[in-house]
Amino acid sequence: MVPFGEEFALKYVGGRGFGAKLLFDQLPKIKDPLGPENILVVAPGPLTGLYLPGGSKTHFVSLAPLTGIYGDSNMGGNFGTELRQAGYDALVIAGRADELSYVWIDEDEVEVVPAPELAGNGCLETDRMVKDRLQSEEVRVAAIGPGGENLVRFATINADWSRNAGRCGMGAVLGSKNVKAIAVRGGKDMPVADVGALRLLTDRSMKELSSHPLFGFWQQQGLMSVVDYVNSAGVLPTRNYSENVFEEAEQIDGFKMEKEYKIGDTACFGCPMSCGNICLVKNGKYKGTIAEGPEYETACMLGSNLGVGDFAAILKGNQLCDDLGIDTISSGNLIGVLIEAVETGLLRPADVDGMTLAWGDDELINTLLEKIARREGVGDVLAGGSRAVAAHWPQLAPLMVQVKGMEQSAYDGRSTISMALAYGTCDIGAHHNRAWTVGKELEAGASWQAEDRVDLVIYHQTIRPLFDMLGVCRLPWIELGYDENRYAEFYSIVTGVPHTLDDLLARSREVWDLTRLISATRGVSRKDDYPPPRMMERAVEKGPYAGRVVDRGEYDEMLDLYYQKRGWSEDGKPAEGREKDFRDRLS
Amino acid sequence: MSKRLTVVPERCSGCRLCESVCALHHFGVNNPKKSAIRVIALYPHPVIRMPVVCRQCAQPKCRENCPTDAIVVDNGVVKIEADKCVSCQQCVISCPFGAIFVHDEIPVPFKCDLCGGSPQCVQQCPKGALQYVPEHELGEANRVASVLRYAHMKEVEYVEEGERKKLRYAEIGREQSREGSD
Repeated sequence: MVPFGEEFALKYVGGRGFGAKLLFDQLPKIKDPLGPENILVVAPGPLTGLYLPGGSKTHFVSLAPLTGIYGDSNMGGNFGTELRQAGYDALVIAGRADELSYVWIDEDEVEVVPAPELAGNGCLETDRMVKDRLQSEEVRVAAIGPGGENLVRFATINADWSRNAGRCGMGAVLGSKNVKAIAVRGGKDMPVADVGALRLLTDRSMKELSSHPLFGFWQQQGLMSVVDYVNSAGVLPTRNYSENVFEEAEQIDGFKMEKEYKIGDTACFGCPMSCGNICLVKNGKYKGTIAEGPEYETACMLGSNLGVGDFAAILKGNQLCDDLGIDTISSGNLIGVLIEAVETGLLRPADVDGMTLAWGDDELINTLLEKIARREGVGDVLAGGSRAVAAHWPQLAPLMVQVKGMEQSAYDGRSTISMALAYGTCDIGAHHNRAWTVGKELEAGASWQAEDRVDLVIYHQTIRPLFDMLGVCRLPWIELGYDENRYAEFYSIVTGVPHTLDDLLARSREVWDLTRLISATRGVSRKDDYPPPRMMERAVEKGPYAGRVVDRGEYDEMLDLYYQKRGWSEDGKPAEGREKDFRDRLS
Repeated sequence: MSKRLTVVPERCSGCRLCESVCALHHFGVNNPKKSAIRVIALYPHPVIRMPVVCRQCAQPKCRENCPTDAIVVDNGVVKIEADKCVSCQQCVISCPFGAIFVHDEIPVPFKCDLCGGSPQCVQQCPKGALQYVPEHELGEANRVASVLRYAHMKEVEYVEEGERKKLRYAEIGREQSREGSD
């Protein structure tokens, strides 16, 4: 146990910021993301667990097994609150246990408990077994499934039934350390400098949020409302991103969910928005399937992107991924590549365990999810991620929709070119959460110049990761227009040190430089910042943006400007001397 | 008019705002474990989220089992009198709902006091899963559901502003005793 100094705490804020700095310090020692010398930082933020909207987040930071560069992923739920109540702002897991174990954190007492009987169990069964063993329903457990144990490069860490640190393969890092689960329990106060001010500001904020005209609709559908919006706008990835409109979107959207499947609402810690939906299949071949989900990304990646127009089948896939501990985005993306390859004759059924893969064949898709997690047959190839698939079958490279080895998430980049830049320059690979510029560009992008797009992407890449440093969810701000300046107020109230939003944005920008520095050390440069070939070479087939590609010249112009504005070299390297800025060894 | 704090578990999202605000209100700290209400979430079988909080029983088991008569019912609120309490935890163990709580930094067990008649958890619940209702209204949801289940209602379909609608009504002449049924 090491106390952070105040200087460290204020400079790196928490969550992703703490993780990036701790990883940077460890970096020279790390050879392989799955080696014992890699570290997994588990860090809530300074606002996690507190009485404010959406303080639920826990961040997992490591050198990513999927990409080999800086990686982070976060989950909501209750795990971060419990970790803070146990007295920790960050947990660093290093080395490797001799046998399969779980880490048990009971406030100041920490032990690594051998538990070979957990081997092969799903995330949910593991959660149950650990709780039974500790004889407590009120401990919080984050677990890996077969995916993490088998070192699937996009394995997740799961807690609270369906909260997942989904991207980058954080579950494989835990698996490589022979850690099946982390169980935590705590009852400590979470310190706040001015409790009275926190109470007043949050009471007011809750009233504002609940009186927003879309509050009720958001509680009803949550992120599932995005399906309808994105399909209507013509940016819904369909059949491995070849089309942008799905003819069966109405079968997989939020309205369908509400009408036929939803049985309850869930929320992460301290959030009034309850965007989680518990869905149950009451009829048909998937009768009895229950999951907290799907959310938008899953509905698209296991739905339209695979030509699946059956909500129940998507829910089954969601349930399988939660339990097997694999990412729905990467899984859906890679299975899409495989189906297209079989449909177009690039692969024969004999290459894929004899399966006659076809768009919309949900049973074979679910079989593939199992095969990936257990590394059986063709699943073993997919489990390595995009790069491994392209190495195994070089003819599939043009079909792959990935950046830096990370499978792209569920928004197209051709209809809104700022989103292509967002994916290209995202620090963990083709992920949507660092900058999501689709809505703005659809709304106002017609008259934009390159600079408008670059400015928007950089602004998003600055403010959105700030939420990941503070340990709060960004959805109150994004979906219900909650004032972003409030987060600076909260941070000031909590630390007792006055901060403006600009002060915090400057810290976030620093951390962006730091994550780039980590990845640049691992060989990332300009060549890795381009959208996938499918976005640049193959036009959208259907929908309002049919015929569009990302123009290379236009992209290069944006990228030049992007590097200039970030103060990076033409090749995308942070300025000389930046390394030294982070080299300080703060206690 | 005496009121009851009641729980509608079907509506609970498990967000635990009730826990946060309770601990802040009573102890001035951010610490859900110092709250007199606690959300239990079970998944996926059975699947339920439900806040557990004192029901202010008229014949409280906690009082019955208290060896030092530290528990009193004062104006409908079950209270633990700190000066009489020896912190033996008998009340915690004997409460059939598990609605009395203990924390090692708080000298005596603690429980819901209805915040002097203005429960903060009810005010902050974003789902309406916690309600503070007059006692004579208790059971209202079941009463309304029971009426809606009343069979042999006639139905008429009509179109209003292009939208198909249905109206159900109980018609005179079809009366029959429903005694004993729901």
